[in-house]
Amino acid sequence: MPQLAIPAIITAFAAAVTWSSLQLELSPPMIVGHSMQPRVFPIFLMVICIVLAGILAWQYRSEPPEKVKLEGLRTWGSIALFVVFYLLTTYVDMLIATAVVVFLMCLLWGERRIYVAGLVGLVTPTVIFFLFDTVLRVRFPRGLLTNWYYG
Amino acid sequence: MIDALQAIGSVFLDPYLIFLIFITTIIGVVIGVLPGLGATTGAALLLPFTLTMEPVNAIAVLATIYVSATFAGSITAILINTPGTAAAAATTFDGYPLAKRGEAGRALGIAVVASTIGGVFSVIVLCFAAPMLARVAYEFRPPEYFALTLFGLSMLATISSGGTVKNLLGGVFGVWLATIGAEPTTGIERFMFGNYELYEGLAFVPVFIGLFAMSELLVQSRHVNLAYETVVMKAVKLPSREDYKRIWKTVARSCGIGTFIGILPAEGATVASMIGYAEARRWSKKKDEFGKGSIEGIAGAEAANNAATGGAMVPTMVLGIPGSGTTAVILVGLMVHGLRPGPYLFTEQVDKVYQIFGAMMLANLMFLAMGLYAAKLFARISLVPLQVLWPVVFALAAIGAYALNSSLLDVWIVLIFGVIGFLARRHGFAVAPIAVGLILGEMVETNLQNSLKMFDGQWWLMFTQPLALLFFVFAFLGLFSPAIVKWFARRDA
Repeated sequence: MPQLAIPAIITAFAAAVTWSSLQLELSPPMIVGHSMQPRVFPIFLMVICIVLAGILAWQYRSEPPEKVKLEGLRTWGSIALFVVFYLLTTYVDMLIATAVVVFLMCLLWGERRIYVAGLVGLVTPTVIFFLFDTVLRVRFPRGLLTNWYYG
Repeated sequence: MIDALQAIGSVFLDPYLIFLIFITTIIGVVIGVLPGLGATTGAALLLPFTLTMEPVNAIAVLATIYVSATFAGSITAILINTPGTAAAAATTFDGYPLAKRGEAGRALGIAVVASTIGGVFSVIVLCFAAPMLARVAYEFRPPEYFALTLFGLSMLATISSGGTVKNLLGGVFGVWLATIGAEPTTGIERFMFGNYELYEGLAFVPVFIGLFAMSELLVQSRHVNLAYETVVMKAVKLPSREDYKRIWKTVARSCGIGTFIGILPAEGATVASMIGYAEARRWSKKKDEFGKGSIEGIAGAEAANNAATGGAMVPTMVLGIPGSGTTAVILVGLMVHGLRPGPYLFTEQVDKVYQIFGAMMLANLMFLAMGLYAAKLFARISLVPLQVLWPVVFALAAIGAYALNSSLLDVWIVLIFGVIGFLARRHGFAVAPIAVGLILGEMVETNLQNSLKMFDGQWWLMFTQPLALLFFVFAFLGLFSPAIVKWFARRDA
């Protein structure tokens, strides 16, 4: 029953949130008064979620959804580049991370001219950096390049 | 009234604001013609750039992006049969066939004029309707606000993309996202998992950039190799007297439809243009021309989608309930710049409110000029290779998200919600309900709590409040309207 995968995932998520809500502290009655404990509202939402997931499952059984095509290299590659961006930003430098990811994304998406990809990778983060640094006075996180720039 | 006119007029006399709106209109039109980059994504990406601006200027920028990008979607809809924004989808039905017959200039001329009339009409309605609604909203107490937000959420059931159940699931997920952080009354931490940067909850902007821009990037990665067939156009032609005679009733009808649809919470320009188009066809004497290049079809869709922009600003500014995905971003912009949306905005900062309305009016006139004289140039921009465009969008989104709070957590939120948004869209869920749910989440919970306190925990007493009851009935109707419409359609068939 592959069409039931989505309702099942939603139900599992709702169950996990409900369990997590039940672990929340209880507030003293004098603070809450006649209102709700902080855990009640999320649980209430998850009950609605489970009911809606049930209706979705019923809809899918009577009218199965169209099969979703598996994504190609570009989509999964782009998601992998998000991870590369995270790692490079955390351990090297945000600007270097942006330049590398923009360059690789250009190539991944089919840009054959390496110099164009290189130019886009170099110019884009540089322009955005100086725009934010000088006009908006944003201070970027410390890293290889920003350490050198900020001194 | 004179104060309002003065405030609106001051926009037309402020050279800096005129220049800002001019530049932003160009950016908005470019965003509108680029496939995948709609008004919502554009506004979300530009929000960080408005941080250092005066509140009025910042909101004027976002509102200008909204109106100009909504119009610009029609340029590519007519010339390359690809709507630049979802709101221009109905324009392709007749715009492209007319363009293929060698009348691209005429098609664009009608689209530009109808859009401008729709936009200006809706801003005029906004100027009158918003203060009137604000006067009513002064009477609202927590039960009324709770019922109103429920009504807003229930309207998610009726938006066109996704489906009723999927949209409601998205809305509920969005409301749950709003519960992350410290609970407002007790301060008890919820779903923070030890991350104290989440104490004040998820920041709206990174979530929006992720849901709209990053998820679109992943969606577009599947369309890189699409080839567009472009129609050649010499110049945009203003509609002839005959054209005006044929379309004026359609335009007038679509102005009303678009503004009304826009005012409904969560409904937006896309729904408005579809209904505007359908009504244009229903009332037309030349129904057989529809789908083959009917000028009434173009005018009906375009007047309605731009009329929805002003309409959607009414609930956004008066009630703090977004009228569409883009107004959700504008709502966040208002909050970021210290303009708390709600009825009190109309007493405490009324001059700013009218200046924003004036800016919207100016933006509508600005894109009229650009549409007439530069549409051909803008259409070429739509042919920018996607393999260059989207990496640049990635850099803008990531660095822009960081710039808001100088927080790397915001950047990770962008990436995570990009993937969540993509997976949701891949399985037929729309992302706008998540954004609307996130915005309304705190309002729903806080007003429910306050209502319970007001009635000593006797929740059913909320139904004894006439205005609240009215909104509960609306919410019920909104929730079941798709089923009711389907039932009637089946019965008629």
